[in-house]
Amino acid sequence: MNLAEGVQLVSFIILTVMMLGAALAVVLSPNIVYSAFLLGGVFSAMAGLYLLLNASFVAAAQILVYVGAINVLILFAIMLVNKREDFAPVKYAWTRKIVTAAVCGGLFLLLGTTIITTPWAIDSTAAAGDEAIYILGEHFFTDFLLPFELVSVLLLMALIGAIVLARRDIIPDSSNVVGQDDLKLPEKPRELVSAGADGESS
Amino acid sequence: MNSGIDLQGTFINSLQDLGLPPGISKLFWMPLPMILMVIGATVGLLVLVWLERKISAAAQQRVGPEYAGPQGSLQAAVDGLKLIFKEDIIPAKADSALFTIGPILVILPVFISYLVVPFGQNLIISDVGLGIFLWIALSSVQPIGLLMSGYASNNKYALLGGLRAAAQSISYEIPLALAVLAVVMMSNSMSTIDIVQQQSGYGILGWNVWRQPVGFVIFWIAALAECERLPFDLPEAEEELVAGYQTEYSGMKFALFYIASYVNLLLSAIMVAVLYLGGWESPIPLDRLAGWLGQPETNPILQVITASMGILMTLFKTYLLVFLAILMRWTLPRVRIDQLLDLGWKFLLPVALVNLLVTAALKISLPFAFGG
Amino acid sequence: MDVANLASQLNVGVILPEGIVILTLLTVLIVDIIRGRAANAITPYIAIGGLSASLAALCLQWNIANPVSFLGSFNGDPLSVVFRAIVVLSAAFTILMSIRYVERSGTSLGEFITILLTATLGGMFLCGASELVMIFVALETLSISSYLLTGYMKRDSRSNEAALKYLLIGASSSALFLYGVSLLYGLSGGETQLGAIAANLTAGGQSLGLIMALVFVIAGVAFKISAVPFHQWTPDVYEGSPTPVVAFLSVGSKTAGFALAVRLLVVVFPLLADEWHFVFTVLAMLSMILGNMVALAQTSMKRLLAYSSIGQAGFVMIGLIAGTEVGYASMIFYLLVYLFMNLGGFACVILFSLRTGTDQISEYSGLYHKDPLITLCLSLCLLSLGGIPPLAGFFGKIYLFWAGWQAGLYPLVLVGLVTSVISIYYYIRVVKMMVVREPQEMSDAVKNYPKVSWDAPGLKPLQVGLVISVVATTLVGVASNPVFTLAIDSVENSPALSASLAKAKEKSAIAVLPKDSPSLEVTKVASAKL
Repeated sequence: MNLAEGVQLVSFIILTVMMLGAALAVVLSPNIVYSAFLLGGVFSAMAGLYLLLNASFVAAAQILVYVGAINVLILFAIMLVNKREDFAPVKYAWTRKIVTAAVCGGLFLLLGTTIITTPWAIDSTAAAGDEAIYILGEHFFTDFLLPFELVSVLLLMALIGAIVLARRDIIPDSSNVVGQDDLKLPEKPRELVSAGADGESS
Repeated sequence: MNSGIDLQGTFINSLQDLGLPPGISKLFWMPLPMILMVIGATVGLLVLVWLERKISAAAQQRVGPEYAGPQGSLQAAVDGLKLIFKEDIIPAKADSALFTIGPILVILPVFISYLVVPFGQNLIISDVGLGIFLWIALSSVQPIGLLMSGYASNNKYALLGGLRAAAQSISYEIPLALAVLAVVMMSNSMSTIDIVQQQSGYGILGWNVWRQPVGFVIFWIAALAECERLPFDLPEAEEELVAGYQTEYSGMKFALFYIASYVNLLLSAIMVAVLYLGGWESPIPLDRLAGWLGQPETNPILQVITASMGILMTLFKTYLLVFLAILMRWTLPRVRIDQLLDLGWKFLLPVALVNLLVTAALKISLPFAFGG
Repeated sequence: MDVANLASQLNVGVILPEGIVILTLLTVLIVDIIRGRAANAITPYIAIGGLSASLAALCLQWNIANPVSFLGSFNGDPLSVVFRAIVVLSAAFTILMSIRYVERSGTSLGEFITILLTATLGGMFLCGASELVMIFVALETLSISSYLLTGYMKRDSRSNEAALKYLLIGASSSALFLYGVSLLYGLSGGETQLGAIAANLTAGGQSLGLIMALVFVIAGVAFKISAVPFHQWTPDVYEGSPTPVVAFLSVGSKTAGFALAVRLLVVVFPLLADEWHFVFTVLAMLSMILGNMVALAQTSMKRLLAYSSIGQAGFVMIGLIAGTEVGYASMIFYLLVYLFMNLGGFACVILFSLRTGTDQISEYSGLYHKDPLITLCLSLCLLSLGGIPPLAGFFGKIYLFWAGWQAGLYPLVLVGLVTSVISIYYYIRVVKMMVVREPQEMSDAVKNYPKVSWDAPGLKPLQVGLVISVVATTLVGVASNPVFTLAIDSVENSPALSASLAKAKEKSAIAVLPKDSPSLEVTKVASAKL
């Protein structure tokens, strides 16, 4: 084993331990904020594994999208709504935990056996490395053109949907006849009370 | 193209001459540029802090620091010493683990990003193909650290500061990335080296700032917002939030935030220089000058001169931009949070998209000027 | 390379119907932005115009010479054309019946139509997608827009609950599906085209990995068609979401799910044909039994239709399991019939709830005296759903059972027969409640029933949709033969199915020949009844 292989092996072990540990901690931690932060750790470790596989673009994209965007949004959501509330302890909670553990363990064994016993058609060509970006680009504009374009429609719709969910609606008043002008506004005007008064007093 | 000085090859060769195997001699080389870069960034930081104090003082008609060192130039170092010896306080109700990890997560990506900062043809730690994309990806990790320290402080100002920081950084990352994308599209590569090389050859006239004026402005605004510099320093707006996410921090942990913010400013300025101001290229093309004087490219003296000029030019451009940022700090008022988000989403984002579209169109129609 | 050349190389013409839908979607969006509230008067009609144009384009696409487009991402064979047409029709009817509903609820119509059109687009692409990435993206387009539609009435907490449930269960089933698909990618050595995957899998032979892939894929598909162990979301989502959305989910989304099932399972898993047929037999039996049994106990009309739709999905699966030409054709035929009768039923439910504000079954009692039109339409649709001759539903079921019997699926067909008798009971219960009750037994809602008038804005299209679907429900039954021939044609002309059809033929030649004649008798009896 030369130096490069040794470094690779050690980094693989470190990354795997980090990923598995963090993933378990995400699930087992009672504190949801910890779980969210640890999820970032899982994502980062996964990016590290991608790097080891010579897929540097995917690794960077993983960091950018999952750690930088999704995880931050999850944290954002948790911190905006985080109510510390003590839930009443459930009776026999441990049985649920055992059942969950058994199911997960069984699934793990099943998938493990699958991975070991299945004859995978392994591609022997070397990883593209830095060239990967160009190959990805070519795929996007040849055989994956249609899904690529459909994603743009999907994103547009997601944008519209997010706005629909987030914006304030017009609340239909009981005085529908009188308030015709109100309905022309896309949303209810903000109350501009006390802005002037504050300015004068301070 | 001039390949410049191959420090790595020379170093490894000389070690091999001493009888070390190639693997080991490479191992000896590897940490050197990293250490050098960390030292460089730190020294740059000290200079930057000193400059900020001096320029701020000048802007307010004061003298600024003057006792520590000549012209107060050691003031920043002395401040650092003070912070090291300060007691490290963790508030009793704070979450001590997250409280400690937070600042580390803030500073780490900034220093790792120096991996792709080029000072010359071969003067870069690692010319990874991802280059500028790596920087964007890494800079997106920072808000997690900010959120973490904001949350862990168990202080409402800190939490609000952390949330604001995350919101701001997510909002401005998009126009930033789009502006970078336009440049990447012109140079057909994300590597910082290639981006600079694509601007070389015509001196100041070849720089991207002429081809991407809109992108330059967008990038600069977004970079300032990412660094939380003054028109956009809402996360630590002292009139509203005491000091934002830093409120509860002191000693070395506070120093980490402090260092991170300044080193990040320096990094952003370098990136502006690389992307839009021709990186290490001087306004007058040195290669051509040498050609007219009849010097071959392999002339060792010429190579040393070009390399040092490269470093000097990069630093000069960087500090010019830093100077601009400091002046802006004392000229512009702080925006409100809604104005900040409006600017990001309703103005910069559409403009950046149009810029990208126009660049693509120009690239197709004028391939000679836009790197077809 | 110029654009025209590129377009011809990619064979872009095949996705013309989808292109029309995208254009319509953008037009609706822009008109809505420009004209604000006033746009509500025109956007639904733009959408319906666009969908009709798309339908016309689909008709022109029937049996084109070269159906494969975008380098194999999309397959426009007659099979996909039929499924896409059903999805488009369901979207058009949904829009007809949603105009008044959405306006009354005080939410904006433009966005509703935009999201609905996106869901339609996702469904259409899903019907023809023949490549894994395309399948997944189309599936997500359909699902994510469905989640948004489900939660569209955001001031209604039931709608929020439905959206959240749908999102969580849908996301996990998508994840399972994706996992299965990634296994396929790995097993076939990095292929994403369905045909290539099938070829490479045959070379590899059976393995545990392939079975896992099948299980995960079935989980994803069964969620979309809400087959029984994967149905838990259906009643809650149907009850909470806006009724027009339910109508679309129960027909459009389900049709797309069936199209996906046909394409993915039949093309990719010929190796495991027995296994997936068995799994689907179990799913179909459970769906028929549980859907129809639980429907007996429902008091809310929407929940009743939810459970009935689970049961109906079970019937449709018989055609899929039969795997013969007639099987697929009867499945298509039933989906088409189901489109009309189910949407007609939902149109009546929407009308009733618009006028009275309730959808409890008990509140329908005595409706005949106040509003004979709704009573008639709802009765016809429900009876057709139950399979009473000579309505369309009866013929749909006859074809399905016949195909199943021919393919030797006796237990399945028996379960189907028994459960459809059960289903007739709960459908007739509603009809009886509406028609037979004396005037003094009227429910409060019906007593306070407003004067029937179709003048309010948005009611006219609802009426049009209702009448068309009811007429179709009655007429398709009578004129079932040409429609069924069309379905057979579409199956025959789709090369994707030919391999599995050949295999099924061999099998039936060995097993079923002697028992062929009695089932033919059944159909003769059926047609004699006409």
